[in-house]
Amino acid sequence: MNAAIQGRSLWSDALRRLMKDRLALVCFGIIVVYALAALLAQFGLIAASWNAQVGAAYQPPSFDRLDTIMGTDIFGRSVFYKVIHGTRIAMSVGLVSSLISVPIGLALGALAGYFGRWVDDLIVWFYTTISSIPGIMLLIAITLVLGKGMTAMYFALGATSWVHLARVMRGEFIKHKSRDYVVAAESLGATHASRIFRHIFPNVSHFVIINLSIQFMGAIKAEVILSFLGLGVQGQPSWGVMIDDAKLELARGVWWQLAGATSAMFFVVLAFNILGDALRDALDPKIK
Amino acid sequence: MHLFTRFGVSAMLAVSFMISGCTPRNKGDTGNTFQTYQPSKVKGLDPIYADDLYSGTEVGRVYEGLLQYHYLKRPFVLVPNLAEAMPELSADGRSYTFKLKKGVLFQDDASFKETQGKGREMTAEDVVYSFKRLADPKLVSTGWWIFEGKIEGLDEWRDSAKAGAPDYSKPVSGLQAVDRYTIKITLKTRSAQFLYALAMPFTSVVAREAVEHYGKEFLNHPVGTGPFRIAEYDRNSRLVWVRNPTYRTELYPSDGEAGDKEAGLLEDAGKPLPLVDRVVVQIFEESQPQWLSFLSGRLDATGIPKDNYGEAIGGNKDLTPDLVKKGIRLYKNPGIDVAHTTFNMKDPLLGKNKLLRQALSIAYDVKPYIELFFNGRAIPAEGPIPPGVSGYDPDFKNPYREHNLAKAKELLAKAGYPDGKGLPPLEYVTTSNSTSRQATEFLQKTFAAVGVQLKVTTYSWPEFQAAVKSARGQLWSFAWNADYPDAENFLQLFYSKNASPGPNDSNYSNPEFDKLYEKSLTLLDGPERTELYRQMARMVAEDCPWIFELHRSIFSLVQPWLKNYKRHAFEHNTAKYLRVDPALKK
Repeated sequence: MNAAIQGRSLWSDALRRLMKDRLALVCFGIIVVYALAALLAQFGLIAASWNAQVGAAYQPPSFDRLDTIMGTDIFGRSVFYKVIHGTRIAMSVGLVSSLISVPIGLALGALAGYFGRWVDDLIVWFYTTISSIPGIMLLIAITLVLGKGMTAMYFALGATSWVHLARVMRGEFIKHKSRDYVVAAESLGATHASRIFRHIFPNVSHFVIINLSIQFMGAIKAEVILSFLGLGVQGQPSWGVMIDDAKLELARGVWWQLAGATSAMFFVVLAFNILGDALRDALDPKIK
Repeated sequence: MHLFTRFGVSAMLAVSFMISGCTPRNKGDTGNTFQTYQPSKVKGLDPIYADDLYSGTEVGRVYEGLLQYHYLKRPFVLVPNLAEAMPELSADGRSYTFKLKKGVLFQDDASFKETQGKGREMTAEDVVYSFKRLADPKLVSTGWWIFEGKIEGLDEWRDSAKAGAPDYSKPVSGLQAVDRYTIKITLKTRSAQFLYALAMPFTSVVAREAVEHYGKEFLNHPVGTGPFRIAEYDRNSRLVWVRNPTYRTELYPSDGEAGDKEAGLLEDAGKPLPLVDRVVVQIFEESQPQWLSFLSGRLDATGIPKDNYGEAIGGNKDLTPDLVKKGIRLYKNPGIDVAHTTFNMKDPLLGKNKLLRQALSIAYDVKPYIELFFNGRAIPAEGPIPPGVSGYDPDFKNPYREHNLAKAKELLAKAGYPDGKGLPPLEYVTTSNSTSRQATEFLQKTFAAVGVQLKVTTYSWPEFQAAVKSARGQLWSFAWNADYPDAENFLQLFYSKNASPGPNDSNYSNPEFDKLYEKSLTLLDGPERTELYRQMARMVAEDCPWIFELHRSIFSLVQPWLKNYKRHAFEHNTAKYLRVDPALKK
């Protein structure tokens, strides 16, 4: 009985598949670079001096010095440092809001799917209501209540972006709860909690990973939009704020701030998208 | 994924169709339309709240007061508007008797029930009613300061109205409707500035029926005697005014200052006003669409946004050849204004610590600010009084306005916060457009150089004003544009009795200043008064309730088809003089 055949688990199988996908690896690498930049900026190891004047106002990009590689802004500050600082903001918003939204989506989806009946009705009603309010309006309302700034943005994005995960989780739990292995666990006397966490969850947890990468990207985009509208970060550079600056500056031919912010955003969003797709391919054996 | 991409593209196409679709339609119906803009939402159209330039200008299109400024003459002089002639002054210099023009009609409006919606004649009673309304404590007008303590019996009427419901039938000794067309105004003491007040939007004449009929909504239903009436009103985006068909006969002036004739400003002399049929006011909170509208001919006149300066003005401060080719004209005028950052003197931290205010003032470097945000089109301010009004002292150098970081740090240490240590971040309130945000960043950088941090809250313009009026926040930035050509208009911003919600937004209170100010009110223009003005200016420079920043100079661009343009620093109601030549409009 003790298997002579060495089976491969879902995870190691997925990892093998992922390793074969060159593009996904490159994207993962890009995300690691962004995360590293964000982390270093967070601890003040790079771009801490984004607020310092490094040249004249609106100096075009020049490659002789690192800090003017993307030119300067209205106050002669380095656009390159501002992009890095913006990376810190974007990545931290992505991370924190996902950390808030994933547990909510997971818990509510699992409860609704597993218990069904009135619990299901209640939770479905709740997330349908949330998702029927236009997202941006809800975000604006929350930032107005909490005051503008990072905390409000973490909370606003976290509190509004869990619906998709909850839906997926609910569906998966409905599917799994009557499977043989769960029924077997039940007849062996497993409690509800044990069935949810020890039996079903490991079989659906890959959805969380897939969802996380999509959600992360959504949060980054939302951060840029909110900051562009003046509802996001206050008093520090973010990609959205830089694009807002560019709106005025383009008239005088200053394109580098826009280019810096949008290309930084473009690559990370693209990387998350491709990685998300690759993760789904690797982790969801059904669509192989 | 594909679905999204296609949707994205078609949405963009739709937008560009809308934009190109707009152009011909707009051009089609602009035959005799003056196309203008406001850089901010309009708060409302009730004269007693018209305390900002934007709502003041809009109120001026529909409402009129007893007096107005001569459109062309400089220095600025008052001429009659609803009054038939300039008032007679009594021997003691305290009473003005105005004769009103006969046959001036209010605009037709549903609120005139007795006449089935036909506007009735404006009379002396309407003037008295409108002035009392400005004094009504229940309405909390933002313009009460222009009458406060000036008209005999009006303050007492206001006080009695504070207790119960305001009684408009109760007479005020200083405001008498002698007969249907005569009004006598008696002042407590003679005042050199009083007549200017009667040319401000606050003292416009309103109809009681309309006020009572619309109640709170009167703010959005203007019923005046002016040259235009409202046709379309969306305070967030667009106002359309059309010619008032029952407007009295008022003629374009036939004299001006030297050079006006040569400039073609007297070609329409003697013609009945207004000269245009419509005024379309677009609200542009951001400067880029404003500039592009002007270039595409959908605005007849504009200021120059800072980021488009290079496109408009060449190195020698003249128009670029591109614009000259289009026939666009450039006008340069000194602005009679002062831009400043206000310290909230009610705030226990800033209000009590003069050294701290002085330190912040001296840390503030205005020169790069003028370059970055005004393209050099401003001069540093040394005190509250701008050049061009009496009391301005060209030799005065404010000791706390020279940029000196070492001295700022020294003062900061004396104030109890060496290198900003122990000082909590100061609460700065501001408006939420892109340029304000950049200016805020500038201020943050400036103060960061001496270790002082700012905590920023942003609002829309009306919200921002409300925040300032209720003294929320510790600092904010403002510009004060003169209401009339007298330094008193700038000094009253520091008079303790004008504290918020009045115009003294810093809530500065200094008994010595008040004494000098009250004394200056009784004096007519002359060396003695000028000396008092200078003394007061030096006093506020020392106390630093504001950081005095700059006086702007105003560059305006005008399309070739707009005629009779001459910038007026005080008159709000100038659209009636403008003419549009459709032939010059492609």
